[in-house]
Parts: sequence; structure tokens; C-alpha cells
Amino acid sequence: MERRKFIRNLGLGTAATIGIPYLLPSGRLFASTGSRKVNHVVFCLFAGGVRNLESVHKTDGNLMPYTLKGNEGVSSDIVSGIDFVPQNTGLTLQEQGTLYKEFRMKYGPTGHYGAHATAMTGVYTGENLNINANPQYPTIFELYRKHNSPDMTAKNAWWVSNSLGPYAHLNYSSYEGYGSDYGANFIQPRSIISQDGMDNLGNSRVYTNTEEEKINSLKGFCDAHFTSQYNGAANSIINTESDKKEIESFINQCFADVGQFDDPWLIGQGLYNNDMRTVQFAEKVIQEFKPELLVVNMQNADVAHDNFTMYASNLQKADYALAHLWNTIQSTPGMAEDTILIAMPEHGRNSEGNGLYDAYGRQALDHTNDVMSREIFALVLGPNGVVVQDQVFANEKGESIDIVPTIANILGFDNDIPGGLLNGNVLTESFY
Amino acid sequence: MKKLIFLFSILILFSCKKEKKVTYHLNDVNITQNSANKDHLKSTTEFISIAYSDIFGTVITNDKLSDLSAMYMAFGDKKLIEEMVIKNFLNEPTTHIPILDRTSESTIQNFVSDSYKKLFNRTPDEYELWFVTDMIQKDTSITAELIYFSLMTANEYRYY
Repeated sequence: MERRKFIRNLGLGTAATIGIPYLLPSGRLFASTGSRKVNHVVFCLFAGGVRNLESVHKTDGNLMPYTLKGNEGVSSDIVSGIDFVPQNTGLTLQEQGTLYKEFRMKYGPTGHYGAHATAMTGVYTGENLNINANPQYPTIFELYRKHNSPDMTAKNAWWVSNSLGPYAHLNYSSYEGYGSDYGANFIQPRSIISQDGMDNLGNSRVYTNTEEEKINSLKGFCDAHFTSQYNGAANSIINTESDKKEIESFINQCFADVGQFDDPWLIGQGLYNNDMRTVQFAEKVIQEFKPELLVVNMQNADVAHDNFTMYASNLQKADYALAHLWNTIQSTPGMAEDTILIAMPEHGRNSEGNGLYDAYGRQALDHTNDVMSREIFALVLGPNGVVVQDQVFANEKGESIDIVPTIANILGFDNDIPGGLLNGNVLTESFY
Repeated sequence: MKKLIFLFSILILFSCKKEKKVTYHLNDVNITQNSANKDHLKSTTEFISIAYSDIFGTVITNDKLSDLSAMYMAFGDKKLIEEMVIKNFLNEPTTHIPILDRTSESTIQNFVSDSYKKLFNRTPDEYELWFVTDMIQKDTSITAELIYFSLMTANEYRYY
């Protein structure tokens, strides 16, 4: 009898341990999370609107030799308009992961902000999208910071953007229960890590720890007596005090590199563009903070609205930058062999030109919801044994709303996201 | 019975007392503009241009305002970028911050009061005046710049 009772109690205890949700010190109740595939994800929104014709279909030759296998020459009519980056002598990126050649952005307007919002929230946007506001649905940063276990500070989530404008809104949403408390650190490097930035922010008064204690004491007194609704978070994410000091110190360190901004990768001054600058700063964040989640975008291919040949030229620069990013990840202790990189254009471009011709006789391209503007590719790179290597899906498979659930799955919190928030699927075929 | 009468007499004797008339006199306290009335968040350009004027006593140039506004927009942690902007202003050689005269309590109070008026656009209440004055009196290493930085990075400075 005693033995039966013991076995029953043991069974109940075990079931309770497994089944009952845990209560964190923060008071948040959560179910136990799934296992992680790796501990870091970098998501690169690639290039600012790229057609499959110029990327994976290579109709003008291989303009992405660092990403795609093949040595097809660039079309003779535009070749003299291309600023060629150094040749790739190593493995292509596609050999180090899984390539989806026919990915789709199926619904919603094929505008940059809406397509960014779709990629970063996992929800298609509607026609009534307000580009001057935060997205309606939780971003991947908020999903990560709210549902990952243990809780992570904003220092672990970064949104590094090529441009300002609406992109500054993408570090958190207006969705109830999420928002700035779970947002990412946002930075647009060009406006800060520059000569202007150095001139305006590079000569900071440095306070000693003792002085800071006095400042915090008086500031705390003032804040305690200020009864308005403002709590410092109304329009902003909040870093912890210690993280804030680290980030401020990091920005100040970056000012020391101002002199190198013209050609930090030593590829020739004329080649370096803002996409490269943006990726270079993302690399600095990676090296400094080893974030668990970083999203970086490129935008210079969007010159296609005016100049097709420059678009093609910038496409191969973006390709070079993507490979540089991957190599930096692989050479950063703590990130190497423990990071999955996902790259995807936010949308494609129209099949027909817009009537503007460049010096090489090519028509410029807009992106206004036609079928081709919804055709994109996606690339998933990661350690061998985690990500299937050298795998290509040539037929239609996957959508841009699949990236968010895939990142959540990689970091092991996909099962903790409330049902109904995401409609996309995990790109399971990319993984062993 | 005698005991009961005695006890009753004692109770009557001590239970009722005529109340003294006391009049309390209060000093007037100026509470004309309470921080609770501030509910208008300064825009980015307002924050930067007002901060510049408060520190340098002059108007910021359009170019500098434009540069700093772009930097403000380009950074997600607004409190941190606000602190960085103020720290850079304060490290310029041409700042125009009043001298903290420690000669007497009243000179310190004047500094505190003037700082509140300039930066918070209101007079400090009695408790605020006492607290900050006391803090300055007790710690001779507290400078005018440190007071300015603390007030300018407090939440109230973001509002008017």
C-alpha cells in the first residue's frame, strides 16, 4: 500500500514539474519554451526591392557572385556601368545553407515600409497602412523579448537601418500588451556614426561614478515629483542603466572610427556605399554585444526607380556586404557556429519598366503590386548540422510572413506566442 | 453608596473642559504652477532648441538643429540620446550657466529657484526648494553644471 502511494505521489510530482507553468521572478507566467537551434539570429532585409530576374534568375549574369553559384558574365550592354567589387574566391553563401528561389510576398502593398513591416511582424499589411506610425502587430523584437525565456534586455535586440523616415518606427509596435517595453535598440548609423555625428555628439562631458550618483539622486527626486504621464518610455524603448552606459560607451568608441568611414573594408573608396556602411555598423554591434537578435536592412538597390544599371551595380555591392556580414559572424567568438543568418528582399519590382532610361538604355523599375513585385528569394545560412547545406528550392515555397515564426522557432519561443498572432509557417525544411 | 457618589463627582469634574481657542497662522506659499499641469510633450526640435538656449543663452543655428534632429530620430533610446546631446552641450567652452553662489543659504536658494524657473518654467515648491538647497549645502562638490544636467535630463524637462 505504502509503495503504491509512493509511486502515485512520485508520478504526480513529475507530472506537475513538467506540466505546470513556471512563475518567473518577474511575475510573468509562461509555459516552458522549446529548445533552440542556435542562440543568435541575424535577419538581413536585402537591398531595397530586388527582382528575381536580376538575382536568382541571373538574366543579366550573376550579379550576386558571393551568394549564388555560377560564373555567368554580366550583360555586355551594362557591364561598363557596374562598379565591380573584389571577386569571390571562397564558398558561395548558397552552399552554406538553404536557398528558396521562389519565395513570395503574397499580399499587401509592395511598398518598402509595408513590406518591411510584413517581414518583421509576420503579418501582411493592409492598404490603410500608416507609414508614420509603429506597425500594428508585434515585431519580432517584441515577440522575442516578451516570450523568450529568460527575459532579455533591449541590448540583445537591435534594428540597424540604412534609412530614417518610417523605418525608425519598426523597433516596436502599437499592439496592446507589447510595444516599447519589449522593443529593440534602433540605430541608423549614417546619421550618427559620421563626421556630423562626431562633431555634435563626440565631445561628451564624462561624469565620474560619484557625480553620476549625485545626478541620479537629484534626477530621481525630480522624477518622483513629476506627476505627468510621461515616464520616459512614451516614445522610446528603455535600456537598463548599465546597458545604457555600455551603449553610450560603444557609440563613443565608434566615433574614433570616423576617419575610416570612407573605406573601412579596404575595397576602394568609390565602391563603399551606405548599404556597406549600415552592414559595417551591424557588424560592430555583433562584435560588441553579440545580440541574440539583430535585423539589418539595405536599401541602395532602390535606385532602380531612376537607374537600372546602378541598381545592378548596387545589387552586387549588397551581395558583397551580405557575405562580409556572414564572414564577420563566423569570425566573432560567441557568434561563430551559433548563428543563423536569414536574408530576403522585402519585395521585388515590376516586370515592366517605368519609362525612365539610363545611360545604358535600360528602363528603370518601380514596385507597384504587380506579380513580379511579389516574387523574391530567401536564404537561410547556419552551421552544418543545424541548417541544411547547399540546398535549393527552385519551385515556389515560402512567404515573407514565414520569417518571423522561423526566427521564433530557431530561438525556441515559437510555442509561447499566443495563437492567432502569426499566420506564417516555420521553414522547417531548412533545418535538420 | 458614598464611594459611588465620590466616583461620579470625580468623573464630572474632569470629563468636561472648556476648549481653548487656538488660531493657526500660515505663511503664504507660492504654488502658482504645478508640474502636474504640464502635459505637452516637447517636440524633438523644441527639446533641442530649448536645451541649447538654456545652456548657451542664444539661439541654435538651423544647421545644428537639423543635424541634431536627425541624430535624435536615428536612435531608439530617446532618453539616452537626450543625455548625450546635453552632455555634449555642457562640454562646450561657451556654456552660459549661472554661477552657484554658496555664500549663504539664501544665495543657494536663489540659484535653485532661478534654475527651476529657467528649466522647468515654474518656481520650486517649498519642499523642492528645501531638498535641493539642502543637497547643495551638504555637498560642496555639487556644481551648477551638475544641477543643470540633472534637471535637464529629468522627465519634467521634456514637458511644458
